[in-house]
Amino acid sequence: MASPALPNISADLIWEIVRECNPSAEPEAWTRRTNADGETCAGNNNSFLVKSNCAGGVQFSRDPLNLTNKNSRKHAGFVNDKAIGVVANEKGGVTVISKKTANPTRPAQTFVKATYGGNKSNRKSYKAVANQAAKSGYRSDLRSAAVERVSAIRRTQLPVKADPEPKLRGNKAKKAAESS
Amino acid sequence: MASRPTVSIIGKDGAPSGATHPIPAVFTSPIRPDIVQHVHTGMAKNKRQPYAVSEKAGHQTSAESWGTGRAVARIPRVSGGGTHRAGQAAFGNMCRSGRMFAPTKIWRKWHVKINQGQKRYATCSALAASAATPLLLARGHQVMTIPEVPLVVDSALFEAGAMARTSASIGLLKAVGAGAELEKVKGSKKLRAGKGKLRGRRHRQRRGPLVVYSPDVDGKELVKGFRNIPGVETCPVTALNLLQLAPGGHLGRFIVWTSAAFKALDEIYGSTTVPSAHKRDFLLPSNVVSQADLTRLINSSEIQSSLNAPKGEATTRRSAVQKKNPLRNKQVMLRLNPYATVFAKESQKKQLKK
Amino acid sequence: MQMVSAKKHVPIVKKRTTRFNRHQSDRFKCVDPSWRKPKGIDNRVRRRFRGTMAMPSIGFRSNKKTRYMMPSGHKAFLVSNVKDLELLMMHNRTYAAEIAHNVSSRKRIDIIARAKQLAVKVTNAKAKVTTEV
Repeated sequence: MASPALPNISADLIWEIVRECNPSAEPEAWTRRTNADGETCAGNNNSFLVKSNCAGGVQFSRDPLNLTNKNSRKHAGFVNDKAIGVVANEKGGVTVISKKTANPTRPAQTFVKATYGGNKSNRKSYKAVANQAAKSGYRSDLRSAAVERVSAIRRTQLPVKADPEPKLRGNKAKKAAESS
Repeated sequence: MASRPTVSIIGKDGAPSGATHPIPAVFTSPIRPDIVQHVHTGMAKNKRQPYAVSEKAGHQTSAESWGTGRAVARIPRVSGGGTHRAGQAAFGNMCRSGRMFAPTKIWRKWHVKINQGQKRYATCSALAASAATPLLLARGHQVMTIPEVPLVVDSALFEAGAMARTSASIGLLKAVGAGAELEKVKGSKKLRAGKGKLRGRRHRQRRGPLVVYSPDVDGKELVKGFRNIPGVETCPVTALNLLQLAPGGHLGRFIVWTSAAFKALDEIYGSTTVPSAHKRDFLLPSNVVSQADLTRLINSSEIQSSLNAPKGEATTRRSAVQKKNPLRNKQVMLRLNPYATVFAKESQKKQLKK
Repeated sequence: MQMVSAKKHVPIVKKRTTRFNRHQSDRFKCVDPSWRKPKGIDNRVRRRFRGTMAMPSIGFRSNKKTRYMMPSGHKAFLVSNVKDLELLMMHNRTYAAEIAHNVSSRKRIDIIARAKQLAVKVTNAKAKVTTEV
């Protein structure tokens, strides 16, 4: 576990700052939260968070390092020291972004990109991503989520089938039968 | 905090110059969004201009109440005749062309006094937050490509008005990987919704990097170089402003330091033990919990050594499992009493004997 | 349009499907049927007399697991652009996209095309895009 650059910053603290402390959205989690100073923490917002009142209030995240797009501590990649993200590659295939723990203060070096091209078979890219996520104890808890996301992205890259011709029903069908 | 981490200073073309500087103590101050937000709301109010409706509005008539007995409300009514206005109600906030309720006054309390200690705490806190990459990302800055946070650029690049031209300044920002950030700001300019358009606030756009310089060493020519780049702001290190360090009260502004400004921070803010050279009686706020990483704290040998061993065996609590009656369910009975089979057979034999 | 089906779920049970009408809205034209809680001291509906109309209460609430669910088993999520739609990529069996009312037909076409790639169900895919024959 690599330590952050400064002792006053940690993933725990940052999550408390950027998570949305909204008592109505998550009543069971609303306890008096405290930050490093033992004071109650003013819940803040973050640029990745998408809140909607649809379906009783949902919270999604646009974070590229978030595998499920859910706003939760486990999946908040930009907060956690180790994170893995899968985004679609323009030329087909997927790009996997992960975070190195060695230099948390050097963003250009921290974020590592690996591309698995569109020509690689699905199973091989699953295996590669799974290895990247779980081997050497990186984030084994995210293995299945990572594979699921690769699968979802690869599916979006398939050619879209055209809609089947709608079957005529009722009077229209009768008319069509008569005319033919 | 034996040794503070160092920050490398970036030289020409975004390449590290090789020089480093220990990170100033102000970056280790506690990050307190609550204080920053509170101070920010107060400070944001200090630039307001007074406005009010006219003192006379709704009162420019000689209306008098007709009193009771006329089967109309006792509201003042415009006197005279010969016009429709006569006999209409006046003055009240419920009346047409009456005055508003509680007319606004120019002597409203426009400005808010904030305690100096709080203001300084908030500034330190905002500075500390500007050294946390995740907070910068959470604020929406495009900082995935910059070499280091905090980003310190060698003052030699600013010497003799080298950054007095906008093209030079843009070149510098692009060289340190802030090109994506500049593009983001450029594309974000939108017309403001509502009446603000008519009141000198026509557009809204994101904030870009803040360039903090030392006026003594870097000179002030760089202000001219940066001022026309959308979203980029400049600030002398001696007069850091919370409204720029945490716009909207949101922590984590992307700051580009000149090396002279960065070095001056230790002198300006002092440390938790050494008072500041410029602010009288000011010590940096110290963290109540010196290690913010909870996993590290829990797994530390100090805490692990003083913990009691877990009591009893490791059991999984099965919630929401139907309770089975051992007197009816043989398997559950066996689990509770392994001798039950033998016992049952014995009793069966006894029964047969009778 | 063939779309991804929703996750398996417990059957949706609506405890009440009729509306709660305001007391005496059936007697007077000027009393709107939209629900207002009776407040009168002698009100028989408020006092829950036998034979009076039912009042809305917490007990009519749906099972938490099927709340906000459409008959298809999806929950609706309002989207205004393609970027919002991308959020549903990993949730296309729980959420369906609903295009906001103020999105033009030109952009709706983009959203619907992308939704098809992502296999996200769009509840109002035909609105403003198809023309009446």
